[in-house]
Amino acid sequence: MTNSTVPQTTRSLDVRAIRADFPILNQVVHGKPLSFLDSAASSQKPLAVIEAMSAYYRTTHANVHRGVYTLSERATELYEGARKRIARFIGAKSSREIIFTRNTTESINLVAQAWGRANLKPGGEILLTELEHHSNIVPWQLIAKETGARVRYLPVDGQGILNLDGLDALLTERTRIVSFTQMSNMLGTITPVTAIVQRAKAVGAVTLIDGAQGVPHLPTNVQDLGCDFLAFSGHKMLGPTGIGVLYGRRELLEAMPPFMSGGDMIRRVTYESAEWNELPWKFEAGTPAIAEGIGLGAAVDYLSGLGMDAVRAHERDITAYALERLAEVPSVSIYGPTDPDVRGGVATFNLGRVHPHDVAAVLDSQGVAIRAGHHCAMPLHEKFGLTATSRASFYVYTLPEEIDRLVDALYTAKSIYAR
Amino acid sequence: MDRQEQIDFILDHFENPRHKGAMPDADAAVEGGNPGCGDIVTMYLKVDPQTGRAEVTFEGTGCTISQASASYLSEHASGKTVENILALDYNDLMDALGREIVQQRTRCATLSLDTLRAAIHKRERELMVKADS
Repeated sequence: MTNSTVPQTTRSLDVRAIRADFPILNQVVHGKPLSFLDSAASSQKPLAVIEAMSAYYRTTHANVHRGVYTLSERATELYEGARKRIARFIGAKSSREIIFTRNTTESINLVAQAWGRANLKPGGEILLTELEHHSNIVPWQLIAKETGARVRYLPVDGQGILNLDGLDALLTERTRIVSFTQMSNMLGTITPVTAIVQRAKAVGAVTLIDGAQGVPHLPTNVQDLGCDFLAFSGHKMLGPTGIGVLYGRRELLEAMPPFMSGGDMIRRVTYESAEWNELPWKFEAGTPAIAEGIGLGAAVDYLSGLGMDAVRAHERDITAYALERLAEVPSVSIYGPTDPDVRGGVATFNLGRVHPHDVAAVLDSQGVAIRAGHHCAMPLHEKFGLTATSRASFYVYTLPEEIDRLVDALYTAKSIYAR
Repeated sequence: MDRQEQIDFILDHFENPRHKGAMPDADAAVEGGNPGCGDIVTMYLKVDPQTGRAEVTFEGTGCTISQASASYLSEHASGKTVENILALDYNDLMDALGREIVQQRTRCATLSLDTLRAAIHKRERELMVKADS
């Protein structure tokens, strides 16, 4: 082990101070300090988020967009204020381009259904990549079946890096939409979003970025990326569950039919027909997740306070350290990019032939929480000849010593399984 | 058995599986799986028409608990009547494998029993179809 590269916390973030904001991390599991290494599945929440939601319920709750009374106006102000801060966080031109959904999955389904049904025809093509999470594959398979369009995939190399040489052959005038991840949830691969978006635009294709893993961890600006849609989830970026975002370029959103229908998304309804409300409410039928929206606003403020450049620099350091330490463990195979500059805070591995669930169970007995399974990326596992993997993932509160505990626990697993 | 003995029991079944292998002349073979984790077992069942006693084997891949459970169950169920096998429940399997060890992974632990039950029902359905025709 080369101790020279071992960060004490990291260069970029004062992780110990950050951890004081996350009370959940300060606990003992099976007699060991908790090492929570599963933030790619769902992150923990800082007090600022918990308190924003709690204060809302204690002092301000009423339904939004309805009231002529003070409480409802205040609730609406808080909820719409959160939308504005989220718009700023990703560099949207207007908060009207921010549609609240339940999560990334719903955001992608919204585009696949509302945009897809109006724009896909037989002969048209949907271009995805081999890196995608099931939620950026299955919605397209369904709408392709319905419309007669065809789904194609940009391949990855042995490290899980997209092979852009194949892009020109796959991108044609038949390509109607290119939908791909900003960062692979299984391998951590950070994709060259701007390059792909530019080439997609050149053939007139619409672009959707699955930002579920990217937006929480990488500085993300939709103007710089040039994408038409960006989908992400609140719960992976220090916010609550049940709230997600679809950013969409205004012209596209204006032209799209609604996704779900009901209250709040209409301007005028008769027994025969309805006129749609303006953006973003056209896509937000029914009473929304008000407290969750406010919580996500607080999460975005917290991340902005840390600075997304610092967040990324911290995770790059932690990931480099994790890859280095894991490589020391005999019979550990590591998957994904070896260069931490193109890899997000995800370390995916197997311990010999020990099943990942067995690995995760032993790690849990040592207080180390990781994900084991196919991580909703079965086709990508199949591509690498794997049925399942173990995945440790990191965030703003991850300490280098938690990586050390992970490695120690892997030696415990080895002692049990390699007798 | 204490905790360590129970772990050793499971690991022994995992590393030295009993009754593992396809049964070409099985009355019924059913594949079961936990899509969440990639555990797969195929349970093979044959019942001796004279004695009514079952012969059970399995094939599979997956985590220690799912495979050890299939090994234990194949051994335990072989020689029993179908009625006796159907009388086994999750608790018997959990107790045999060590409740403390497998309680957080009951789906892995009980996959073999669910699949063997499915094989029994498949065999019964096929017998009924044969009897009808």
